[in-house]
Amino acid sequence: MKFRAKIIDVGCLNHFTRVVNTVSKLTKACVLRLTCDHLYFVLSGKVATGGVSMWCELSQVNFFDEFQLEGVSADANEIFLEVAPENLSRALKTAQNAKSVKIKLTKKNCPCLTLAAELPSLSSVSRVVTHDIPVDVIPRRLWHDFREPQMPDFDVSIYLPPLKTMKSVVDRMKNLSNYLVIEANLNGEMNLKIETDLVSVTTHFKELGNPPWGDDGSPSASASHRDTELMAQTRVDIRKLQQFLTGQQVNPSRAMCNIVHKRILHLIFLHEDVSLQYFIPAVM
Amino acid sequence: MKCIIEGNGIKVFGKAVHALSRISEEIWLDPLEEGLAVRTVNSSQSAYACFFFTPLFFQQYIPDPDTQKDCEAVKCKLNTKCVLPLFRCVSWRERSVDRCEITIKNPDSRVIFQFHCRHGITKTHNLGYQECEALQAVFPAHLCPNVLKSHSKLLGDIVVHFPISQEEVTLSISSLKVALKTFYEEENSCIKGMNTELMLHPDEFDYFQVGEDSAVTFCLKELRGLLSFAESYGLPVSCHFGVAGQPVSFTVKDMMLEAHVVLSTLTDPDHESPSQSAPGDDCSVTISKTSTVEISTSEGPMEAEVCIADGERVASSQGSEVFHPALHMRKMIQLHAPGEILPRPSLAPESALTTPITPATFKIRSLLFGAVLSDGVDGNTADLPSLVCGSDTEEDGGSEEGHR
Repeated sequence: MKFRAKIIDVGCLNHFTRVVNTVSKLTKACVLRLTCDHLYFVLSGKVATGGVSMWCELSQVNFFDEFQLEGVSADANEIFLEVAPENLSRALKTAQNAKSVKIKLTKKNCPCLTLAAELPSLSSVSRVVTHDIPVDVIPRRLWHDFREPQMPDFDVSIYLPPLKTMKSVVDRMKNLSNYLVIEANLNGEMNLKIETDLVSVTTHFKELGNPPWGDDGSPSASASHRDTELMAQTRVDIRKLQQFLTGQQVNPSRAMCNIVHKRILHLIFLHEDVSLQYFIPAVM
Repeated sequence: MKCIIEGNGIKVFGKAVHALSRISEEIWLDPLEEGLAVRTVNSSQSAYACFFFTPLFFQQYIPDPDTQKDCEAVKCKLNTKCVLPLFRCVSWRERSVDRCEITIKNPDSRVIFQFHCRHGITKTHNLGYQECEALQAVFPAHLCPNVLKSHSKLLGDIVVHFPISQEEVTLSISSLKVALKTFYEEENSCIKGMNTELMLHPDEFDYFQVGEDSAVTFCLKELRGLLSFAESYGLPVSCHFGVAGQPVSFTVKDMMLEAHVVLSTLTDPDHESPSQSAPGDDCSVTISKTSTVEISTSEGPMEAEVCIADGERVASSQGSEVFHPALHMRKMIQLHAPGEILPRPSLAPESALTTPITPATFKIRSLLFGAVLSDGVDGNTADLPSLVCGSDTEEDGGSEEGHR
């Protein structure tokens, strides 16, 4: 198993760092899946994480100048590592002005991702800072836990309101209640609702637009017969939603969510070279 | 003692206290002829720091208005937690405070911090102090084989790569490179956290001298205070060290003040140097739990010997048993007991603050500033670092060396 990659471009480095920072805000530990073309940060929904799951996909060619991978075996040319994204984030933080950053899989006392940054220096010889980030190699038999999540059979898909607005609304609602109901319809309308014994608050958003999921057999085929005024809703733990919105460091070019009525809230943030999906299960 | 600090100096003084607070909860105020020394030592005696302010720093400095003799000048110990808040709120302070008067009132056992602010407002803080003898570390910096000097920004750029929570780091030096890396005690250190290493070329330093290739491990946390002080004022920092086990010192100097931090380093478990066996070394191994400080000089028949237990857990290390801070620190921190059986103060961290070290039981001989300093004393003690520049007393002669 071998992995070596190198980033030379400062812009790519900053962008990669922001993605890693976003992931680190969402979870303490996740799986890093490496293939020849992509990197994935995967969190599979478990009871321990409150059932949320995450899938973040990066196209390696948009970040790395060099990328060499030799997977577990020829027919399974991939590597799955369990890593704490905060370590990666910390290692990248002080390397933002590096001339180059190399990442490779090494074995010190235990398997590590070693990040070596060449920094500008006062002398002719560059400073080199090396960070060894401990990782766990995930055996092949467990890989099925970390597959790409299927697009759920959603009832409504809608673009989100401007993130800043949505975030400030959710922040304030969090002070009043632990649970938030998010509902939307195919008419571009979305409501965020909280209800307690003393108070109920609803914020209405209009004219958001609904993503045109195509004819590729996606659920919208049946949804087109759906009454456009009919709301699909899920009730979620507001802290999880807030954590997701707060952690964003990359401004997505498209932000949308899919709602499976009373089941799942599926958030999708798309950027040119990064896609982030986050699943929050409904609570009764 | 009475002194007046003006304007910007108040901020500097506050930052100095802040840097000292990183090391321990108590600071010693030692008004000397040559200036005011503010010192601290941590509970395990593995880190010592001193900020020395020359009279130039003050608008007015009167060490002891009442008596002539040095030994009458009151030295006192204050709780840092009480002093630190007085110097917080920097931005407010810059705008409103004109000057700060610090007075030590002997009969009342109080140190008075009086802030004269704009609009005729005066804020007076009375702090009780504990009287004690001076604390002093003697560090023969000029005997160190390895010397690094650089601008504070370089050191700041180096330590920024290490997490704030990182306790120990290893500084290694050879003629080809200087490296700083995280240190973990256990073999399977990888599992705990990230290992970080930074390597630089000797050219990056303003002054680089390697007398002996070595790697010293010390507590970075305790040094950060001094580094951020130096960075605030853009002062150069010099670092003197030797081989593993010998203390490492960091110094910042300026016309008006001089700051030192001396840290003990881990001994290399494979190479216990034979020169460390001093009288009383044996007793240090057998004494458990209670810790005591050894006197390494041979002067005076009435010395009681006290040793720091080697197995003692050190506050600054990550629970390491093999950390022997005292082996070299005790040679530096000279504590003298006048023959009484000492009540064996325990220097375990949790009790350091509650077990007062009474002045009657400890008398620390001030080697540098004592009026009597004979050259007949053995070589070690005669080689003193200069904690004062340009002292104009007769002691200058053979026993003090200014830093270049």
